[in-house]
Amino acid sequence: MKGHRRTQMTGAALVFTVLVAAIQLYLFETVLGSVLDGERRLLPGAFAVSAILSVVALYLAFKAPNLDR
Amino acid sequence: MTHWKSSFPVDLADESRHSRREFARFLALVSTGFTAGIGYLWARRRPLEGAPEAGDQAGHAPAVAVCAAADLAPGQSRLFTFRDAQDKCILVRTPAGALRAYRQACTHLGCAVRWDGARLECPCHVGFFEIDQGFPVQGPPTRPLGGIALEVRDGMVWAVGDLPKPTAPGRQAMAARPAEAGAEGAAGKCGCA
Repeated sequence: MKGHRRTQMTGAALVFTVLVAAIQLYLFETVLGSVLDGERRLLPGAFAVSAILSVVALYLAFKAPNLDR
Repeated sequence: MTHWKSSFPVDLADESRHSRREFARFLALVSTGFTAGIGYLWARRRPLEGAPEAGDQAGHAPAVAVCAAADLAPGQSRLFTFRDAQDKCILVRTPAGALRAYRQACTHLGCAVRWDGARLECPCHVGFFEIDQGFPVQGPPTRPLGGIALEVRDGMVWAVGDLPKPTAPGRQAMAARPAEAGAEGAAGKCGCA
């Protein structure tokens, strides 16, 4: 398969991405519970944290070339 | 090569193989979905179904007469509607004599809770709530019931607003509380024992 660059992530990057997804799940569940309790003060901070985590995960998954082996 | 292999040249083992990066992309998109969900909750102005509106406290809602306080013996309950016909609530006089009222919608999946003589029970998934503050003590619910503030005026029980959600203690601690909850409730927060 000459010319085809097979991309593989490092194990650490994959574990980090899984960890980010788990944190996002926990964050969303916590925020939803708070909103259902009528508490909305968490929302701006939670959204900011979630957005940062998403950007990092997207970068790792789509853009980071030095993670390919 | 046999005819069918030339017609279907894809190897089944290769077909089902997903690379780490494909999996990571899937996870990243899931993460983005959670972010979008939180953003939606932030942008949404109307409260979610079952959530109290911001600023709802005792005194800000039109009071509703429920029943005569003397009509409710210890251990009895009565259903009433509060804000509108869909806002079904339950008034309970605890065995200790305190009056407590909660929204009937279970915080798990919204089934109507009922009074079983000691606790509020959700029959759909066998969830139980203690009567003093509405905390879940058994089953799938994890959040307390919405409490209704009560007042007794001239012998009548009035529902006057929403109670703020109580701070959640540990579930196991609450499970040990029902016995003491009744005694504590006699001097309860609604002042209508």
